[in-house]
Amino acid sequence: MIEHRLHRLKIQITQIVVFVSCLLSLVSLGVAEDRFFEIRAKKFSYTPNIIKVNKGDVVKIRLISEDVYHGLFLDGYGINTLAYPGQEGAVKFVADKTGRFSFRCSHTCGEFHPYMIGYLYVSPNRLFPLGASGILVFAALSLALSFRKSGKAAKFKLFGLVPLDWRFELTRFKVVRNLFKNRWFPFIPIVINLFVFTIILLAGILGGWGAGNYNFGVMIVWILWWVLLMMFMVPVVGRLWCMVCPFPLIGEWMQRGKLIGVGRQKSWGLNKKWPNKWKNLWPLVILFWISTWFSGFFTVRPLATFMLLGTIIVLAIVISIVYEKRTFCITMCPVSGFMGLYSNFSLCAVRRKDPEVCQKHTLKTCFLGNEKGYGCPWMELPYEMNRNTYCGLCLECFKTCPYDNMGFFLRPFGQDLFAERRRTDDLYRRRGLDEAFKGLTMMGIFLSFFIAFQGPFGHLKDMARATTLGGYLAYLAESFLVDFIFIPGLLLLFAFLSKRMSRTKEVSLKTVFVNLSYALVPVGLAIWAGFSLGIILPNGSYLLHILSDPFALGWNLFGTANFPWTPVFTGIMPYLQVLTVMIGLLFALDLGYKLSLQTYKTVEESRRGWIPILVYLVIIHLFFLKLFCG
Amino acid sequence: MTRKTNEIIAVALIVLSTIGTVIGVFAVEKFRRGRIYTVELIARQPKYGNWYPKKFTVPYGKETRILIRNIETVSHGFAIPDLNVAAKEIKAGEVVVVKFTPDKKGTFPFMCTVWCSDEHLHMTGEITVE
Repeated sequence: MIEHRLHRLKIQITQIVVFVSCLLSLVSLGVAEDRFFEIRAKKFSYTPNIIKVNKGDVVKIRLISEDVYHGLFLDGYGINTLAYPGQEGAVKFVADKTGRFSFRCSHTCGEFHPYMIGYLYVSPNRLFPLGASGILVFAALSLALSFRKSGKAAKFKLFGLVPLDWRFELTRFKVVRNLFKNRWFPFIPIVINLFVFTIILLAGILGGWGAGNYNFGVMIVWILWWVLLMMFMVPVVGRLWCMVCPFPLIGEWMQRGKLIGVGRQKSWGLNKKWPNKWKNLWPLVILFWISTWFSGFFTVRPLATFMLLGTIIVLAIVISIVYEKRTFCITMCPVSGFMGLYSNFSLCAVRRKDPEVCQKHTLKTCFLGNEKGYGCPWMELPYEMNRNTYCGLCLECFKTCPYDNMGFFLRPFGQDLFAERRRTDDLYRRRGLDEAFKGLTMMGIFLSFFIAFQGPFGHLKDMARATTLGGYLAYLAESFLVDFIFIPGLLLLFAFLSKRMSRTKEVSLKTVFVNLSYALVPVGLAIWAGFSLGIILPNGSYLLHILSDPFALGWNLFGTANFPWTPVFTGIMPYLQVLTVMIGLLFALDLGYKLSLQTYKTVEESRRGWIPILVYLVIIHLFFLKLFCG
Repeated sequence: MTRKTNEIIAVALIVLSTIGTVIGVFAVEKFRRGRIYTVELIARQPKYGNWYPKKFTVPYGKETRILIRNIETVSHGFAIPDLNVAAKEIKAGEVVVVKFTPDKKGTFPFMCTVWCSDEHLHMTGEITVE
């Protein structure tokens, strides 16, 4: 009897399962439909800006322009059409690729043309669930690994493989050492850069209020330089840009009286000292944030790029007359802040070789200077420097050290995040909330930039380019709230939870907040690299045009002046972006737990305190995943 | 090399890479202009400056080469209907050279032929053939 009942129940269950799965498959797969969309294009948005179809649908799009020539290029499908007032564009295709694809304007229609974007969703979107499960798996693995090991490890190892204090000296090779000790280096790269920047400035002023996407200045600075900075220079070499930056050249020449030889150690100018309590990243946090207010102008208008660079050059000269050494670079250059913070993650560093040699050498020529070179222009103490934040790679210490005790080292990513605190860190109030807020505001600025410039929302673009004063002020207010209140607030909440869960009484909330914010260094680099992919892949082909015709005078230096706008790999771009975000997460998980170990006194406290931060990292990464592909 | 020659070389390099570059660009452009075209015309929406120059004169019976630079952010076109001269769409940032030999004397209108803005119809100028 019971068996009979069980059998009937089984049949019923099977029937229900079959029915439900049929229903589900009907819903999820759907039936291939004909879908028709009428998209109206107007500077600088599409209406509708987001369209959703299912895999297999036959999609027909009619493009209507309401003002000037507009195009529609669909990432991944490579389809393109043009519309013009009175002449419609049309495309028809089978939606056989799934995911989120951007469609972009393919015909220069105004200054914000490169930012004119809409989204096409072809469901089912496999990348988002795949990425999300990846994030959860990595987090679970990281948690399991952190609970498995017993006791505090004697040595931190990156991913359990490379000891974090491992280093390999590149200056052991005579060629490198001789190059670094030569007074013509890095002068020669700076002069080459000076030549490039002369062209940029000239193109900027000649380009006027014209189209940025056909201007040498705008393209080299905001497509090539920015992308190189975020994807190569900072993560690999640190402040490589500062080594070759031409902006301080004039000021430094005036201070020293010589270009190649060693002249005055003390500036001829007022030689004032910058107040100690502001020798940290705070001025740079504020100044970079202020400079992003104008991003809707200087990334699209040649003259705005010219004015920005011109202001920086003039400021660099004035500051170098009033203040000592490289005060401008340390406290005022807008890009110096994030380069400094993110350089702590970089693969390379300048460090002393043997601490004993430095100890015996009582006259610190690396700080004071001698007849071979200048005392550290960045006012670091090279003999005890242990972080990259304030090392501009000017290589003077290689020249001034009489014992050849300075080295250029390869080391594992993120070594500096665990460096010991030094006297100057406390004296100048460094490595506190200033660096935490630098990392947090960089995340906020990424958010504003990504949503405004790579997102599909026309009204946000209008706010960023200040079509109305009210809208622009609202954009700035929004940026302030996100960068300084909301994002730090979220981390504060989880830092608070971390402290509560660790049940410690010895560590202050501020210490937890600051220490664990360093886990955001690889995260920041990764999301900015993802953002950079969204700039270089669709718009990199403009570089070919501007190299051949830098001043828009009709030149054709390399025969590529008429190369058309050609987006590359935009079909797999979301995959590449998700990959970079994942790499950032892996580093954040590995380094984050070690930061927790360093923050709390015992292993048990660190483990418990690590859990909220892990949850925080998972939440923000799910959010980034949503931004890039969801 | 003495220290003094080093300094002189360094200063020379700086001057060459800055002032030298600027002078070089303008010199090359001046030389090129004489060979490639006779008139330079800048195309902009009426709101941002319209054609520049709006009026110009070319000689009768000689080949005229008009270099049109669209230094703006939208597409423009160019035509002189009375002389049967036209350039197709000139995209933002693009530069084209229109060649023709005027066979009529007088003053003729030229205009933009691509809908560039609300004031597109006002984007006109005058060419005089003497």
